[in-house]
Amino acid sequence: MNKFKTIEDKLGLDKFVPSHETHLKIKNEVNGKKVDQKKLVEDVLFICPAKVYTYNEEKKEAIVSFENCLECGTCRVAAPDEVEWEYPKGGFGVTFRFG
Amino acid sequence: MAEEKFDVIVVGGGPAGLSAAFVAAKAGLQVIVLERGDYCGAKNVFGGLFFTNIIRELIPDFLKDAPVERNVTKRRWSLLTQDGELAGGYKFNKFNKDPFNNSFTVLRAKFDKWFASKVEEAGAMVITGAVVDDFIYENGKIKGVKARMEDGELYADLIILADGVNSLLAKKLGLHKELAKEDAIVSVKEILALPKEKIEERFCLNGNEGVAFEYFGYAVKGAIGSGFIYTNKDTISVGIGATIKSLLEHKINPNDALEAFKNHPAILPLIRGTEQKEYSAHLIPDGGYNKISKLYTDNIMVVGDAAGFVNASLFHEGTNLAVMSGKLAGEVAIEAKNKGDFSARTLSLYEEKLRNSFVLKDLKQFRKLAKTLEKNPQIFEKYPKIFEEFVSGLFTVDGEPKWQKEKRLFFELLKKESIFGLIKTAINLRRVIL
Repeated sequence: MNKFKTIEDKLGLDKFVPSHETHLKIKNEVNGKKVDQKKLVEDVLFICPAKVYTYNEEKKEAIVSFENCLECGTCRVAAPDEVEWEYPKGGFGVTFRFG
Repeated sequence: MAEEKFDVIVVGGGPAGLSAAFVAAKAGLQVIVLERGDYCGAKNVFGGLFFTNIIRELIPDFLKDAPVERNVTKRRWSLLTQDGELAGGYKFNKFNKDPFNNSFTVLRAKFDKWFASKVEEAGAMVITGAVVDDFIYENGKIKGVKARMEDGELYADLIILADGVNSLLAKKLGLHKELAKEDAIVSVKEILALPKEKIEERFCLNGNEGVAFEYFGYAVKGAIGSGFIYTNKDTISVGIGATIKSLLEHKINPNDALEAFKNHPAILPLIRGTEQKEYSAHLIPDGGYNKISKLYTDNIMVVGDAAGFVNASLFHEGTNLAVMSGKLAGEVAIEAKNKGDFSARTLSLYEEKLRNSFVLKDLKQFRKLAKTLEKNPQIFEKYPKIFEEFVSGLFTVDGEPKWQKEKRLFFELLKKESIFGLIKTAINLRRVIL
């Protein structure tokens, strides 16, 4: 029935110039308290439209696929204390051809 | 390199920043626009409707070469249920000739790039790939900005912040608080390609006419939000938006909501057989009048989304508020330059001009929108269902006498919601959406 693309294939349509350095980070600690990365990803950062944030059960850590970031800022608003967010360097990141 | 000083630095090459730069440069001021994308528009996304009444004031013959897609003669507002639709709208032939009701579908990558070329023609410099991270202070006063690039320290008397919804710079100055989860709409959108003739056939369009379809009710799986379809020349823009708070509460990912929207029986036939071209996401500042930023301080003015200028009512206006605020900031820049005074006292004229314009008047009128929607979650799931049962019941062909049917349906409806609740919701909504 549904012949539309998956999120991975959809992101493949977009033009990205990936940087080597991430512009998105999850803090280890907030106000001296350790951030529960699994809970943060599952309860809050699931909201990312590009599904940039996943949790790796084996490594017990959050994976941040910043190279897929659409630079909307949703994670920044959803988790203002835990996510460190900046714009990618000029010339890097997503370039919308339609917009 | 010698220290270079401009009259005005505009941070951000979207409609607001470009309008400010256009007005100021046209009057002979030394203006530089710093845009972080590869070109103006490269990082910019919106639903698809550009209202051009103010841009027409700036560039009267803009239609000669502006890359607009289609002129919108047909608008429709629908209430979606899980698998049904109730709709109303208009199609006016008089909107199919100049000035085309100043309503066009637009693709921002093309449009903003074109606008930037007009700003350069007006005499401003436009530098792309320039991310501004901070300000330059001297003796506690803002003297310029620091862009993340070689020779990135730039000086000016006036800095116009047009850096969009996230506006990290306005926040850095304390002009704007962080967006609250209930005041930020995340919107996702796809560009779907379909041959021109097929679009015209499918949406019943003559020539370059276009449609704007907006979907309310159960458009985002019950979350506080809406969906849209806009026709471009040979593509269709389809998308949804919902408040971050509501998506978190409903545990819905925006992309999953978009997929559900696309597969809704009322939507799917409109986009069937298309080829997906691009997927994008963007925030919309939805706090309205009560959440707009402080609009100026010494040497600084804030315009467009950075200030929170979006009218999210049924009118769905953002770009024309952006252009208007930019235009007014440009006018104030000229005034400040003439006076040789760039202090908050002179720049307060910017807020005064905004208050006398439709920008703050409209935002004030609809100031209760976000709160009202949040306080009436029934309109996103319960009410669409009740209305569907009533209307579909009324039109079900089954031989039941009409008076008996109407009475039965009315009592069934009252079992689900009191007449008082219905009327109260209707009055509350009327006040904030139209």
